[in-house]
Amino acid sequence: MNPRDLELLSAYLDGQLNPSDSARLESRLTSDESLRAVLDDLRSTRGLLRQLPSRRAPRNFTLTSQMAKLKPPELPTVPVFRFATALAAFLFVITVAINSLVLSSAPNLASAPLPAALGGGAPQSALQESALATLATQAPALPPAADNLTETSAPRLIYAAPMTTETPTPEAATKSNAPQVQTSQPVNNQTTSPVPLDLEILFGILAFGFGLTTWILPRTHESNFRKKWNKK
Amino acid sequence: MDEPALIQSAQRGDLDAFNTLVLHYQDALFNTALRILGDDDLAADATQDAFLSAFKNLTSYRGGSFKAWLMRTVTNACYDELRRRKRRPTTPLEPDDQDGDEMDSPRWLADPKLTPDQQAEADELEHAIQHCLDHLPAEFRSVVVLADIQGLDYAEVAAVLRAPLGTIKSRLARARLRLRECLQGIAELLPAAFRLKEERS
Repeated sequence: MNPRDLELLSAYLDGQLNPSDSARLESRLTSDESLRAVLDDLRSTRGLLRQLPSRRAPRNFTLTSQMAKLKPPELPTVPVFRFATALAAFLFVITVAINSLVLSSAPNLASAPLPAALGGGAPQSALQESALATLATQAPALPPAADNLTETSAPRLIYAAPMTTETPTPEAATKSNAPQVQTSQPVNNQTTSPVPLDLEILFGILAFGFGLTTWILPRTHESNFRKKWNKK
Repeated sequence: MDEPALIQSAQRGDLDAFNTLVLHYQDALFNTALRILGDDDLAADATQDAFLSAFKNLTSYRGGSFKAWLMRTVTNACYDELRRRKRRPTTPLEPDDQDGDEMDSPRWLADPKLTPDQQAEADELEHAIQHCLDHLPAEFRSVVVLADIQGLDYAEVAAVLRAPLGTIKSRLARARLRLRECLQGIAELLPAAFRLKEERS
């Protein structure tokens, strides 16, 4: 059996031959017994295949949302929180960076006296104060015992001015009479406190809070979505 | 079942709509996989993979026979499995009894309309045909399964297998002839009622 005849017989069996080819083959079939035998073989084989029982699926193949990895549509608030997180984090970093730069330009902040030391024993005369300031400038890293000296000269007292004005003490009042101290305070503020620490902390807290919300919100939403879908 | 509406909904991500289609076509896909792979468990896995793949790629369906489109996914899943099997040959999948003989098909597969004798004959015939299908080259097997067992026409088979119509005709003819020769070789094993009888239809 040549392959061409085999194909013709198979297609004829399925009614896939055009009328002219079909008529030509039928005329050959009447005269060619071997051709008829092959056709019969093909027909019986096809019959056996068609008799194969159709099995029922052993289980349902329906998909779950987990299999399909369905995700709920994004909450409209999530991008807002995401942006707020980025903004707060940016501001926090900027404020920290600015303050760090300023502090690094004032190398002896660590040895700066406590604000409480401001009021203790302010110099009584401008002459004395001036002399002490000169001394402090020449020896910036004085031990704590030299509080009085550093108080008047140290340009790095970040919170000294606000605290002394908020809670005036008799000593502070005395000090306010000293012109040199008054003139040195604006200098202190400009060089040490470009961004208030409260603001820096606030940005940090906001960045953390927004970030946490941005992380939790979609997960809670997706969890609820899955629970709802699985209940269907 | 409003198939076009279900397909549209499924394309928009409606899993319920897709699952309605799954329930409708799962027997056809499972049987196709079963005849190509010759094993229930592998066929079930291929069917599941096919439906998952179909859902993920549903947007690529552009009309035409949805059944043929699904058949393509399950045929691809079967080819993947056959390639895996070729790389890692395994032992025969039919469970053996203590004597090493193949065990009968599980009872849940039995057709309740048949007597025990008829059921036994049907099981033997099914084993014989599956044995011969398993010995066909994969590209012949898929053609004969889709055309003669699933009843797809030539054009649909060509679409499923992405092969020219002439190739499908040729493969089908040769597959039928090979099956015939194989069945004749085990003719004495076939039940008398099914032994190479001619189709009268």
